[in-house]
Parts: sequence; structure tokens; C-alpha cells
Amino acid sequence: MLNAWAAGPPLAQQFAQTVRPFVAKYCFECHSGPSPAAQLDLKSYATVDEVLRDNALWELLAERLARKEMPPAPMPQPPDAQREKIVAWVKAMRADEARRTAGDPGIVLARRLSNAEYDYTIRDLTGVDMQLAREFPVDPANTAGFDNSGETLSMSAALLNKYLLAAHAVADRMALTPDGMVFAPYPMLVETDRDKFCIARIVDFYHRQPTDFAAYFEAAWRYKYRAALGRPDGTLASTAADAKVSAKYLAIVWPLLEEPAAASELEVGPIAKLQGMWRALPQPKAAPADAALVQLRQQCRAMSDFVVKIRSHTAMQYAAPVVRGLPAGSQPLLDWKLFEFADHRRDSDPKDLLDDDKPAPPVPAILRYPGLHQEAAPRWATLTANARAGDKDLVIPAAQRPKYEASFERFANVFPDVFYVSERGRYFPDDSDDKGRLLSAGYHNTMGYFRDDRPLMELILDENGQKELNRLWDEFDFIAQYTERTFVQYYFNQSGEVRGGGAEAGSPRPEGHAVTDPEVIFGLRDEYLAKAAASPNNDPIAPEAIRTHFERVNNTLRSLEKMHAAAEPLHLQALLRFAARAYRRPLTKAESGDIQAYYHELRDKDGLSHEDAMRDSIVSVLMSPDFCYRLDLLETRQQETRAPQKPGISHASLGPNVAPLSGYALASRLSYFLWSSMPDDELLAHAAAGDLQRRDVLLAQARRMLKDGRVRGLATEFGGNWLDFRHFQSLNSVDRDRFPSFNNDLREAMFEEPIRFLEDAFRRDRPALDLIYAKDTFVNPSLAKHYGMPAVDGGEDHWVHVENAADYGRGGLLPMAVFLTENSPGLRTSPVKRGHWIVSKLLGEPIPPPPPVVPELPKDEATSDMPVRDMLAAHRANPACASCHAKFDSFGLALEGFGPVGDARTVDLAGRPVETKAAFPEGVEGSGVAGIQDYIRERRQTQFLQNLGRELLAYALNRSPQLSDDPLIEAMQTQLSAGAGLDTLVDAIVTSRQFLNMRSPATRANALAANRR
Amino acid sequence: MPPSDSKSAHSISRRAVLRGAGVTMALPWLPSLARADSAPPAAAFPKRFAVLFMGNGINEDYWSAEGSGDAMKLSKTLSVMEPLKRKINVVDGLFNKASVGLGIHPAQTGSLLSGVGISKGAIVHSGVSVDQIIANAVGRDTAQSSIVLACEQPMTGYHETNYSLAYSSHISWQSPDSPLPVEVYPSLAFDDLFENRGSLRNISILDRVMDRAAALSSQMSAADKPKLDEYLTSVREVEKRVDAARKVKDQADDQAKAVNRPAFTMPRPADGLPEDLREHARLMCDLIAIAFQTDRTRVASLLLARDLSALYYPFLNVKEGHHAASHANNTEAYERIASFHLSQLAYLAGKLDAMSEGDGSVLDHSCLMWLSNMYIGRQHDNRRLPVVLAGGLGGTLKTGRALNYLNAGDENRKMCSLYLSLLDRMGVQLDHFGDASARLAEL
Repeated sequence: MLNAWAAGPPLAQQFAQTVRPFVAKYCFECHSGPSPAAQLDLKSYATVDEVLRDNALWELLAERLARKEMPPAPMPQPPDAQREKIVAWVKAMRADEARRTAGDPGIVLARRLSNAEYDYTIRDLTGVDMQLAREFPVDPANTAGFDNSGETLSMSAALLNKYLLAAHAVADRMALTPDGMVFAPYPMLVETDRDKFCIARIVDFYHRQPTDFAAYFEAAWRYKYRAALGRPDGTLASTAADAKVSAKYLAIVWPLLEEPAAASELEVGPIAKLQGMWRALPQPKAAPADAALVQLRQQCRAMSDFVVKIRSHTAMQYAAPVVRGLPAGSQPLLDWKLFEFADHRRDSDPKDLLDDDKPAPPVPAILRYPGLHQEAAPRWATLTANARAGDKDLVIPAAQRPKYEASFERFANVFPDVFYVSERGRYFPDDSDDKGRLLSAGYHNTMGYFRDDRPLMELILDENGQKELNRLWDEFDFIAQYTERTFVQYYFNQSGEVRGGGAEAGSPRPEGHAVTDPEVIFGLRDEYLAKAAASPNNDPIAPEAIRTHFERVNNTLRSLEKMHAAAEPLHLQALLRFAARAYRRPLTKAESGDIQAYYHELRDKDGLSHEDAMRDSIVSVLMSPDFCYRLDLLETRQQETRAPQKPGISHASLGPNVAPLSGYALASRLSYFLWSSMPDDELLAHAAAGDLQRRDVLLAQARRMLKDGRVRGLATEFGGNWLDFRHFQSLNSVDRDRFPSFNNDLREAMFEEPIRFLEDAFRRDRPALDLIYAKDTFVNPSLAKHYGMPAVDGGEDHWVHVENAADYGRGGLLPMAVFLTENSPGLRTSPVKRGHWIVSKLLGEPIPPPPPVVPELPKDEATSDMPVRDMLAAHRANPACASCHAKFDSFGLALEGFGPVGDARTVDLAGRPVETKAAFPEGVEGSGVAGIQDYIRERRQTQFLQNLGRELLAYALNRSPQLSDDPLIEAMQTQLSAGAGLDTLVDAIVTSRQFLNMRSPATRANALAANRR
Repeated sequence: MPPSDSKSAHSISRRAVLRGAGVTMALPWLPSLARADSAPPAAAFPKRFAVLFMGNGINEDYWSAEGSGDAMKLSKTLSVMEPLKRKINVVDGLFNKASVGLGIHPAQTGSLLSGVGISKGAIVHSGVSVDQIIANAVGRDTAQSSIVLACEQPMTGYHETNYSLAYSSHISWQSPDSPLPVEVYPSLAFDDLFENRGSLRNISILDRVMDRAAALSSQMSAADKPKLDEYLTSVREVEKRVDAARKVKDQADDQAKAVNRPAFTMPRPADGLPEDLREHARLMCDLIAIAFQTDRTRVASLLLARDLSALYYPFLNVKEGHHAASHANNTEAYERIASFHLSQLAYLAGKLDAMSEGDGSVLDHSCLMWLSNMYIGRQHDNRRLPVVLAGGLGGTLKTGRALNYLNAGDENRKMCSLYLSLLDRMGVQLDHFGDASARLAEL
């Protein structure tokens, strides 16, 4: 807006001629001298420059002048025209200053990570969400309401101690792998925890694999009818990908079903029967899709059941070789049995096929559980014989036995009895007892693990999957050293069995050797071999079993020793990579040398083990200011070898006091803005390439980041601080006896709703105005119930998008329960607090704090004499109160249709009907949420958008907004008014001068000095 | 923060903060500094608690005590306590309900010190053990809240009852989900106690951080400098405390030496595991004794032989391993094993009793609890447990008694009642613990 002064004489001249004399005449009386009123000495402002420096204060002065609050009543009053002149001058002075300094990066202080940033950064650095900052004191917010700026993020000895504890906690969770390190969700210091971690990773991997036969039959069907199903170009591989099954295995199953190959003579027995079921699958037709799909799936399930039945009835069975004087559970013998099982899962036992010309064999009685140390195979044989009895599919024409056996064998080759074994008890494979022994070898008393997943490796996993699974098992032994521990335990607790001491006798500590030395291992082997040779009745395979076992133990131990030795330099490399990621930039040569020197010092001088030295090195990285502070270092800029090429954003116009951020500093600024966390590899790669400052690259990265799940950090931290709900999870003001529906689940859900909504808004580039006007929201079971919406099934983690939330009085931020509840004092609503929240937080209008003495409203609505509305009306009758309350009470009154926990209501707690009509400022009438929305749309939309822009900018820049930001905020507002999405807002911020640059060090110093004056 | 006013209300929280960095330590009470008129009253001496555990029971034929005081008659196994019998209580007839009826071995041990039921299968879950409850309450004033030692490596895997063997290998649990790691190497335990490795290691880390912050600070602009200086100051402050604590400790060492007290004179044990169990057990007891005497910790746990122990006793002329031998627990051989382990209590108690503290001895201000997880090994019987307490906890625990609760009724013979009674005397008031809400009568 132009004003009369814009075209007039320069500001300085006006100041001397008009402003200063006015101030002298009307203000000096109180505001000058040794103790000026309100400590404001207006006489000290002798030049425009001095006024400019305190321009915010002068704006306040102008406001109070305009409202005729100054000069106060008994003092001489200036004529209105003069008043207006001064007010206009201040406005012009500020506008002029904003134009002149537009895009000033401002002073962005070095800042430690906020608590939230610390947690997110550790999460992304280690891959584990450890939430260690929960133990830290709460971060204070800056004047813009955000807790992410150097203005308020301070450090103290107490906090430093917490950092030290947190850094140790991270280091304790580290486990060394053959080529690097991983982090666990709990400390990896105790063997049981190391086991637990490694086992969980393997079992989780198993459970992720597609091993359901029915899914393959359905996928095969989709491939067969690909043309009819609208996928004429589909391949086996693409069909498998769509169906989320293994392409490798689908290509093995498919020919058995559909393509009679050279082995077609084998299409008898189970193969023929399965093919018959396959051909009976319905053809795709125009029938109602759902019913047809159900039918198809039932038939695929039946095929799968058939396969599972046949395979469980024909699976191979083994017992441990018998050696007189050794228990069946003796490890060398038991292992042989386990390997036999593992190696023959794709074989069919011909003994289980019955010739049709012979009577069925009698069904044996099921044997009791074997005693300790006894063979479990006989009981298993009786169990399976009972299960198999009467299975007609196993009856074959006696004359064609070879052909049928071959058919069963081919069937078994495609369909293993199981793909993997994830639990094993003592009576394996009878799993009716000893549940929960994950990956266990089923030894008695001593620990031990056994891998049995060949069918999974051979049939389902592609090369990458095989590598991954092998790696997990290698890392298991590397991290948890189970082979060694098993052998040591076995040595001390069981190996005495070979000397006739019984199954629970060990051997005494060997003299002159470690238990795991080859001499000890092979000495024991020889004792077992002698035992095996002692009786001609012993199983002839026993010597091989024994030799294999002890050789395997020795080989594994020796190879692990080598791996451990070879791994140390790799661990040091991993440590350097860890440090570079923690510092969010490459290490300098000096830094990298220093970290290695520290490690060596810990080992050589302090005598720490490799692992302890690694842990301490991690602690020292995490304690370095390079990790826990965000520093826009110049030094990193100098490190960059390549200067930005063809920068799309011109730096030519930068003044001498402004320097572009380094690529790495910019990467961090972007990631802490959009994710509240460290930059990922892609961002750092752009920083390294030096092209992050290019407009197209920058915008593409910002878009990518907004679509990433980590944008939840922005929704939580920006949204939570802006709208003041960040600490809602610890809200305790609700009386749960009076509001029994308000439980922890509902509180959690209320907190989550705006985060889901904002995350969705950012990810989908929704118009900024949707925040106010949207008709949709997100609910989970608790919240749906609270809102009276159709029930949402599933657990509390199941969130659904409700498009028509407006039909239930919800949609957008305004009617979210979290705000309505937070702004209620417990047993009644508070139109004052709710209205104040809308006006000050959403619209950004500064409201002065209430005077020290304000009348208390009754605490409990149910027992008060009149509705809150009427009490407030009385309060506003006092003009001193009205000046502020008139600004916001009405918004809260329009929300009276929501109770103290945000529940929709028609009567208040005393049973009085509630009224949602309200007269908004400037006399606009409206009712309910819609009334507020209409009013904002008509009168306050610009203000809302400006505020949103200002808040997001302040959050992005890690500093409070300043005058020089006004032009950018104005420009953003204009774009958003036209309905632009949030991307536009983010684009404008990340490409702004203030975002891309920093004050160069010298001027930062000057500015600070100036600020302090 | 003001320099120091140890009596101010702030001192507690400051200590708590310092403990975080592993840098506080209480100091031994030094006679050289105490004039007769300012000697602290008995109550001022810290109370200590130790638990010594031997798995698989005792030989019941040689385990009995009758009478009281000097007249107390001790059976063969218990006779190793003869010289100290006025300072012990032999407690018979107690049991831990949570560990009865769930099968033998691990289930008899996993809840021994907590009274909380344990979980089967791969995920271990128990309760916080009584020694750790005490450590959490009294441990904040000492270098270490507790020391957890063992003479036998833990084992894992599964027992036939499908309980993890972790339950058999650990008696001290700091959280329900994870037992405390045991230290089996005397040398490492010594380092932890006396070189205060934790805080020394923090010093070197802090040194590095300080160097880096100082280097950065010199590169920073004037505006950023205060933020970095804030960091630098915080580091320096923490480090100063570490250093001050170390100096005070050195001073105390010197003074202790000057009056020829045995403090800190224990030589550092050699690296590695001692070949001989006798030497191993003795070193562990020495460590507890010196830790208590110098007030480096007030809580100790020593697992002499775990449940299902695979220890061998050639020096006792026993050929079988411990667990195998326990299946014939009524033999002379097994009696020698039980006697050997109880003699560790006698040794430790004797050692503490020789350390004078005020009017009495360190033992007089302590309680050492010796127990096993069963009574009759060949029957895996844990319907009663052998328990011996040594020390009077600063006069709060009457000693020289043989207490028998066997016929008092199950409600009145709970181990957890004993724990509640001991917790009281250690200054930890709980309404209930494990399965008990009543104190043990007549203790």
C-alpha cells in the first residue's frame, strides 16, 4: 500500500523535520532523562538509522499512538492529523527497511540439535528409533514458538551428562558384523540379548518370505489368463511381482501345473490330481468380481491343502545313529539327524506309498514321549503313521510302483515338506512340546542353533535373498559366537558322556589349551570315534557323523577367528563412515586420522578390547559438537572441490555481507526443515557433487523429501509447535471419572490426528487453505468412536482417511478434538482459550497477555449458575476486558457445540442447550465451525496465509522472523490465496535468499554487536 | 552451579547427575580425619548387602543348627561358620513359591531373588532381584551401584522344562527383561572398582570433545562463539568434577596408606581366569571385601556355582562335576562341595569382621546372605531352602540364632518376607515384594 510519504521527501528529512519534533513535544516529558518511563528513552533516537535498528519498538509506538493510548489522558494530546503523520512515517520507514534488506539471511546461530531432532537423527543414523531424548529436559521455544533455534537451545553441564549417557546408550546398542556395524533396539552387551537380536532378524526374514502355495497357484492362474485379465503382455516374472510371490518359484510351479514336459509320463498320482484341480479352476468371466475371486481363492487353498497333506504324509524321517553308551541326544549324533532332515526336504519317502494289492498296514499305537536323552524318532513314526492312515492318495497300483514313486519324488522336488524350520524342541520334528525355541538345535540343556532352510534358499530366494539370508546367519555366529559358546558349554557339561559319565557329565578344564583349540576338539573327536568303534552293533554311519561334527565345529571356529581378525580394519572404515554421516559431511583428512588415532590409543594405551574401543569411539563421535550442533561451517565449503555449476539461483545480487551456504550445510538445512533429521545419502551425494544449489535440483529434492515418510517429522515438529499440541501426550487435565471415554488410547489418537492430516497435506501438496476448509480428516478406532463416525476395525494403529468428515462435524484443523480438549480447563469448555488459540495460533494475531488479576470462571460447568457464554458476556461488559476479548471470544463461542473433550454436544454439562451462534469481529454473524470458516474466508484469509508462511519460514530458518522477511511472506501469501498447494510454500522458502545463504562471519559479528547495543 | 555445599538440597540431584557420567564416589570413612569427639555414630556407617549363591542344594544330612549365641550347635557343613557363629543367623524352612512346581533347575533359580514368575521360551522375563532393588536405592552414592560377580561362566540354551538356561546362570536382574551381565574375571572386576574405568574413559572422551569444541570456537564467528563456548563450558564443568573426584580419591588413598589401613592395597589380580577355583572364589571375596571397606559399592552379588553347575573339584577329591555330583547329594563328596562354598561365606565374613569400622567391624554393618536354589539335590527339592545370614546390619539385625520356619505354615515362611525384612533394614520400605506383603516374623 502506498502512502502519502512514499512520494514525498526522504525519510531522513521527514524524521528531522516532523517526527523528532513531535516526539520531543509529546513524549520526552516522560520518555527521556535518567529514568525514562517504561525504560524507554526516546530522546536517544537521534537519527533514522537508530530508529531502524529498533524498528519493531517503533511499530509498537505507532500502534499505541494510533489507538490513542499514548500520550496518556492527562497529558496534552496531539491533533489527529499529526498523529496519523507519525504513524504513516513509521509504516513507511518499516516498509522501506523491509524492501532494502529483503532476503537477509539474518543471524542463524549455531544450534545444538533439539531433542526431537536428536531422536530423529539417531534413528536415521543407526536405523533404530531409540528415543533417548525422552530423558532430556524439554527444549524451550523461541519467540516464534519453535524449539529449533539457537536463540533458545542452550547447553548445560546437566544436559551434557545426559548427552553422555545417551551416547553410551547408542554405543551399547552397537554390534559388530563381519564388515561393519549394526544397531539393535537394546544394549548388545549380554549374550542372551545378542542371541535375541540375531534370531529376531532371521526369523523376521523367514516370515517375510512368500511360502504359501495357494498364492502361487493364484498367480499361475493370473498368468494363464493374463490376456483375459487385461494383462496381455504379462510375463511370469511380472505376474509374480504383482502377486508379491517369488518369480523364481512361480517359474518352478508353473510347468508342473501347465506345461507337460518330457517327464509327462510322471503325470500320475499327486501330480495328476493337482493338475486336475488346477484345470478345474474357474475361468475369468464377467461375473461379480468379488464372488469369483472368493471362489478362486477357495480352490487355490484346496490345492495348497492337498500339497501340504501329501508332503506331510511322505516326508522323510531320520533317527540319530545308535552308538552304545552314548545318549541319542549326543551332539555329534543328533546333528547328523538334523542334517539328514535338512538335506531331504525335497524328497518323498517311498515307504509311505501303499501297493493296492496289499492290505493296509496296521495303525500303530502312539508312543509316549521319549525320556531325556532318548531317541524321539519312534514316537514321531507312530504319530505320522496315524496321520497317514486311510489316505487314499498314497495307494498306488503295485504294478506301476517305479513310475508312481518317480511322480511322488518329482512332486516333492517342487513342493518341499517345509521351506524352513524356525523352532525346534527336543522331540523334533514333533513340535507339540517345547514351543518357542527359535532356531534352536534342540539340544538338551546346552545352547545351540541349527539352520534348516535349504528349500527356501533353493526354491524361493533369488540371488539377493540368498545373500541376505547367508549374511544374517554369518552375522549371527559373528555377533553371538554361538558355535563357540555351544562347544564350550557342551565341553563342560556333556562331553563326559563319551567316558561313560552319563548325559549330563562334562569334562574338566583342559591343561595347557583353550577349550576351543583344535587339539581339544579333535582329541574329543577321537574319543568318540573310539567309542563308535567299540561295538560291532553301532551304526556304521556313526564315525562319519562324528568326524563331520567335530570338523564342522573346528572349521567354523577357525573361520570365525579369521573373520574377526579380518574384520577389525573394516570396522575402522565403518567407524569413519559412521562419523561422516553423524557429522553430515565428509571428514577432513585430519579428522579421519584423529578418529583412528583415538581408537588405537584406546587399544594400545588404555588396553581396551576392539569392541570396547569401537564403542568409546562411537561415544566420542556422538559427543562431538560436529554431531550435536548444527554448524554452518565455512570450512566445509572450502572442502568442496567443485564450485556450484551454473547455479540456477543467482548469487550475483548478494551483498558483501552474505555468503551462500555450503552444499552440506544446505543439505542439512533442507533435511532438518522437511524431516527434522539428518540428510540422507541422496542429499549428501548432491552436496558432494556441488549441484544442490541449482534450482532444479533443489526443487526436485524438496519434492522428493515431501513425499518421503520422514516428512512426518515436519508435521509433528512444525505442526506441533505452531499449533501448540506438541506436549498433548502428557496432558493430564481431563477428569477421567467424568469423561470415562478419555483414555490413553483416545489421547494418543487425538494427538495423532493433526499429524496425519498435516503429513497428508504436505505429501499430497494440498492447498494451504485446506488446513481450514477441508472436509476430510483421519481417524482410528478410538477417534471414530469419539466422533460418532462408522466404526473402524483393527487396532489403534489402523488409521483411515474419512472423506466426508464434515458430515460428522469434523474436517480440517478447527474441529479436531486435540485442540478443543487442550483448550478446555477440565470440567467445562473455555471459549476464551479456544478462541484465543484460533486467533493467536492459526491467524497469528498478537494478543497481549491478560492483566494480572482476572476474574475466575467456575471450574465445573455442571454446577455453574449460567452457561459459560453468559458469564463471558458479563466479562466483556467491562471495557478494559472487552478490548481483547472482543477479538477472540466469538470464535470459541461458535465452538460451544463441542464439549470439554471435543465431543459433539447439544447441551452443556448442566443440561442447558448450547448456542453456537456468534458475532465475530466487525459484527459478522455466524454459527459453528462453518460460521468460523465463512468468516475467515471473507475477512481473515490473507492473515491466515501470511501467518502460515511466516511460521513455516521461521521454522525452516531456525530463527525468529524479522522485518526483511516480510516481502517473501507477502509473495507466498499471494500465491497461496490463489489456491496453490503447500509445495509452493516449501518451494518459495527453499529457494529464498534467506534459506540459501548465511551472513558471512564478519557481518554476523557486526550485526550481533549492533543488536546488543 | 555454586562450587559446593554438600548439605544443600541440590546436592542430591547433582550427585544423581554426576552418577550419570559415572563420576561420583563416596569416600571411605577415614580414621585419620576423625577426632574422637567427631566420630560418626554407628548409624552413619553405610549398610552393605551381599548375596552368595551356590546352585543345586546342600547335603541335608550335614545341615542343621540349634540353639543360640555361643551355645549354638552347628552341623558339619555349617561348622565352617563356627568362629563367627555369634554374628550369623541360620535360617531354615523358607521357600519361594514362585519357583515351586514349574519344573526343576532354571525355574527354581530364575525367580529366587525376586519372587516373580518367569517366562518359558526364547524371551526371558523375570523380576528385579532384591539385591538390585537395594542397589537402585542405595547405590547412587557410590562409584558403582553394585558389583555382580560369578566364578562360573553363564550358559544359555534350553532346559527340558523349556525355560532358558539364562535363569540358571544369573541371580541378579536389574530389569525384568534382562539379567545383569556377570563379571567372571577378577582383574576386570578390580579395574571396574578401583581404576574407575567408566569415568576415566569418559575423561578421555571429554578431552577430545573439548579439543574439538575449542578448535571450532576459534573458527566461529563472534555470534556463534557464545553457543560453542556454552558447550565448552559444560564439558569443562563435567570434566572438572570427574577430575576433582579423582583427586579426592587419590588423597584418600594417600591418607589411608599413611595410617597403614589396608585400603586399596589389594594387588590387581592377573588377567585371565584363575586355573584353580579356590583361588578364583577367594579373589572374588577379596574384591567384595575391599569394595565394601572402601565404600566403592554397597551391594554385591557373587554366584559361586550356578544352577546346573559344571564346576569340577579335583582339590576336594570329587571326580564328577558339580551338577552330576548333586544327584547324589547325600554323599560325603557332595558335602565337601557344599562345605567349600559355605566356607567362602566364612572367609568373606571373617575378612569383613577384621576390618574395624567405628565401634564394630564392616561385617557388623553388613548383611551377607548365602543361599542355594534347592535343598536336596537328588530330589530337586526346593520346598525349603538353605539360608545363612552373616552380619548385624548396624545392630538392626539380631544375630547368633538358628531360626526355623519349616512348620510355620506356607504363608509365614516366604523368602520374599525375608527380603522385605532385609529391605527395611537397608532403608528401602516396600509394602510388598514378590509374593509377600508381610515381614518375616521374629527376624
